[in-house]
Amino acid sequence: MRTRRISFLARTTVQYLVLLILGTAFMVPVIWMLSSSLHDVQGVFALPFKWIPGIWHWENYYRVVTLLPFGRYFVNTLIITVPYMLFMVLSSSFAAYGFSRLRFPGRDKLFALCVATMMLPGQVTIIPLYIMYSKLGLVDTYWPLIIPAVFGSPFYIFLLRQFFLTIPRELDEAALIDGASHLRIYWSVILPQARPALATVLIFSFIGSWNDFFGPLIYINSPEKATLTLGLNLMKTQILGSGVVEWNTLMAASVLVLIPNVVLFFLAQKQFMRGINLGGIRG
Amino acid sequence: MAERIRNWKIVKPNGIDSGVRIMLASVLLVLLVSCGGKKGNDTETPTVTFNCPANALQIKALEKEIPAFTRKTGIVVKLNPFSGEEKLYAMLAADQAPDIFYTNTVVRDKLAAEGYLLDLNTVGKGDPFLSRLRPAVIERGKSIDGGWYSISNWEFTCGVYYNRDVFDQLGIRYPDSLWTWNDMVEIARRLTADSDGDGRIDRYGVFIGSHFVEAFELMNHAPIHPNTILLDIAPESREVYRKYLELVANNIMPDLRRVQAMGMQAQQLLESGRVAMLVEAVPNTNLLEYLTIDVGLAPLPRFDNKKPLYFRSGSGGLSIYAGTKHPRAAWQVLKWLISDADIYRPSPVLKDVDFVNGWFAKYPRLKGSGFEAVWKLSERYNGGDPRYFVRFSSWTSHAILEQFQPLLDQLWAGSISLNDVLAEVPAINKHVLDELESLLQSNNLEPAFAKALRKEHERAKKEVADASAARR
Amino acid sequence: MIRRHFTGYGFVAPWIIGFILLTAGPMLYSLYLSLTRATLLSPPKWVGLNNYLHMVADDPLFYTSLWNTVYFVAFSVPLGLLVSLILALLLHQRLKGIGVFRTVFFLPSITNMVAVSVLWLWIFNPEFGLINTLLDAFGIRGPLWLQSESWAKPALIIMSLWGIGGTMIIFLAALQGVPQNLYEAAELDGAGKIRKFWHVTLPMISPAFVFNLIIGVIGSFQVFTQAFVMTGSAQPGSEGGPNNATLFYVLYLYKKAFQEFRMGYASALAWVLFVIILLCTVALMKMSKSRVYYEGMDQK
Repeated sequence: MRTRRISFLARTTVQYLVLLILGTAFMVPVIWMLSSSLHDVQGVFALPFKWIPGIWHWENYYRVVTLLPFGRYFVNTLIITVPYMLFMVLSSSFAAYGFSRLRFPGRDKLFALCVATMMLPGQVTIIPLYIMYSKLGLVDTYWPLIIPAVFGSPFYIFLLRQFFLTIPRELDEAALIDGASHLRIYWSVILPQARPALATVLIFSFIGSWNDFFGPLIYINSPEKATLTLGLNLMKTQILGSGVVEWNTLMAASVLVLIPNVVLFFLAQKQFMRGINLGGIRG
Repeated sequence: MAERIRNWKIVKPNGIDSGVRIMLASVLLVLLVSCGGKKGNDTETPTVTFNCPANALQIKALEKEIPAFTRKTGIVVKLNPFSGEEKLYAMLAADQAPDIFYTNTVVRDKLAAEGYLLDLNTVGKGDPFLSRLRPAVIERGKSIDGGWYSISNWEFTCGVYYNRDVFDQLGIRYPDSLWTWNDMVEIARRLTADSDGDGRIDRYGVFIGSHFVEAFELMNHAPIHPNTILLDIAPESREVYRKYLELVANNIMPDLRRVQAMGMQAQQLLESGRVAMLVEAVPNTNLLEYLTIDVGLAPLPRFDNKKPLYFRSGSGGLSIYAGTKHPRAAWQVLKWLISDADIYRPSPVLKDVDFVNGWFAKYPRLKGSGFEAVWKLSERYNGGDPRYFVRFSSWTSHAILEQFQPLLDQLWAGSISLNDVLAEVPAINKHVLDELESLLQSNNLEPAFAKALRKEHERAKKEVADASAARR
Repeated sequence: MIRRHFTGYGFVAPWIIGFILLTAGPMLYSLYLSLTRATLLSPPKWVGLNNYLHMVADDPLFYTSLWNTVYFVAFSVPLGLLVSLILALLLHQRLKGIGVFRTVFFLPSITNMVAVSVLWLWIFNPEFGLINTLLDAFGIRGPLWLQSESWAKPALIIMSLWGIGGTMIIFLAALQGVPQNLYEAAELDGAGKIRKFWHVTLPMISPAFVFNLIIGVIGSFQVFTQAFVMTGSAQPGSEGGPNNATLFYVLYLYKKAFQEFRMGYASALAWVLFVIILLCTVALMKMSKSRVYYEGMDQK
């Protein structure tokens, strides 16, 4: 028993050590961003870079929130991101259920088509898409940024389909025998079974929409409708010859934009813990 | 497993109602917000939209000034501060373009050729404002068809920034406006140092980014024209290339590839003392904001026995959309932006503005740095070509650069020789002519452009034919 | 039976409607443009297959950019899969504070690319950069990285490893679905760690593996932002790194479309890439078919 205890301890130590070393390497960009956000402009580009600033310029953060209507951008972004995320999870899982659980003619061809739509570089479809939204009078509204989520995205449909396929068939068959409709099986059997995958889609779609720069850039014109990423970009653009890029303030803004992602991820990652306690490590 | 199957109903359909409710609420929210932004077509007060790539501070400043302008003129200005290539083109394609936007020379010519830009003469002819602009500014805004499509708000020249402390330490006299390339090389040699004697140089005398080579080609009287259709590496340019490569070979300039990248690396070199002199644009706000060292400024060195050709250039400008509903109002706004709006002041493009003192007010440390002399020289000589500092800002610039840039990369890397580059020129020019020909075949060009380009094409074709005949 | 078909179409209907309304039109339009000489904005002129012929016969940069991209895909996809799988296995444990570690490994993949590019430019700086300074300590003179024709692509591949957070999370989610009783059964059979991994873990997460592989291939073939942000130069229009070493396919396409205003040609490039990715995907699907285990797949 004793040796077992010691070997367990040794193993845990090694695991932590490995995680710590790799984790530090992975965190370099984030730590650097944090550190730069507390430097003055010179400090961002100082050689060699000082990881711990001599003077901590907390005012950079104050500058961000006074320079930009940060609260307003935050709300704007939320208005896009929350419905986007909910629609995306719902409609993608809906389609994924169809593609993974039901049989109908042309299903696999349709699914192939679905995946194939990801293979054409978006650069060549931007302009026709923009013209379409502009004909509908939706430019400078949030609709072009939300509507795509209503129909699901091939990426999430594919992802969820792969996960749904790992759920044993006997589950839905039992439910079918009990007279449950497919809608009910989808909602009450498959979705609860695919919690980790749904959590993944939730996180990804939130992050995708929250950090989207290109979509808002194209479709939003009015300053008061800007999202956080557009605001972030306002820290960087400059009129020819006048104005400078305050890299330190830009970093502070980037950190602020990143925080909600981190919080959401940290909360949602608990979903990945479920089920692991059943028989993992036994001391 | 069996148990789980039997108990499938135990899993509650949790939160279906609340999920739907949240979704409906958010849809309503979006509806409300988007309706708030709907704009009516107000014909009484013209609204001019300005796609203004500016930072948050500048946007704020501009927004503060707009009401006064509106009171005076009755024109409402709407800012759209989010700009990007794709966005502008998508807006143009959808006929939703802003009334005023930025263009660079190449884009401006291409958009003008397809009829997307307003010829500023149609609204500005006879306007007394024109007499306030430096003639070169108007010249630079013209395209090959003779139309006038943009006004730049900004101009710059080039100069040598140097670290005064290092000069003082070594007792080297600061460069004056008469210094020559050879003087610069000599000074750079003295500035170069390996203080710890480990065989690696700790401080290089000078650094010149490869995109500033053209400035020296101009100084050496290389024939660089506006609308350069063909690639021509004249003897004057070749001489500069050789001298430039010698800097690296003689170890007084760091290997280009060790510094040449995006970002601030050149500035970092100067600030950290790794390089004592740096060629950069004058004025350069980012550089001034970043440097903390005591910096002096000298004009570009001349070449022996040659009159110096300092120049002033500007690469972008403001254009008006041809489809604008209010061309006259847009012109009013354009004028106001360039002459009165605070964010564009002091303006180097206006004759009646004391730019030097305005700039001193912004950056007091520039006083006594030599900035004034450098700026005044660029005015007095006005040499080289007023339109382009970048040689290939022309119709065929992409076709040329696509082929030429990789060769230059290799030349600077030392993997091929200048003769290897020269040997490729005829092939590149053939490619360029092909590209131009295919451009001419498209049916989208405005007639005046098509005519002017066809002429240029004929001329270029003849030039190439003559050159190949001469080689034979 | 018909009713059942109807249900099936019903479930995929949202996607089908979205495809018809939002995707099909622009896609078909770009296919049409690829057969024309179109500038960005003006009416296109029909040229048949000219764009495609020119690309294959007369455009060395098409091959350069394709080669660069294939190089990138060939290294970044397997490497990314491997590293993210290892990380996922490391993070799929009951350790105190594991949630923090998961966050740590995921974070870099969502940090603002433009902001962080400044850091990467410094990391790869041949003179003062983090990597070369470290190498220097061991007496190794580091390469020129982004400024070197042969090291620019490896630099971007290394950088891409910091973006594998998403892939890792998908593996983590898949690892959740592996039933513990399978491990117990394997243990009873006397299987060691490695055998458990090969015979239980890997087959059970193979659907997620296939997803990550396919998405990795699709995404890497369209690599754009890193190259655009990291290896441009001060000269406008000359993005693509030293001697076009990082001129990736979509970067080239972008330059054609938005800098040279040749939408027709860019569309043709896009469709060729479409076909290339499609063929790769089909091949990978075929190869993986026998090795993927779908618990819930209906047997036909």
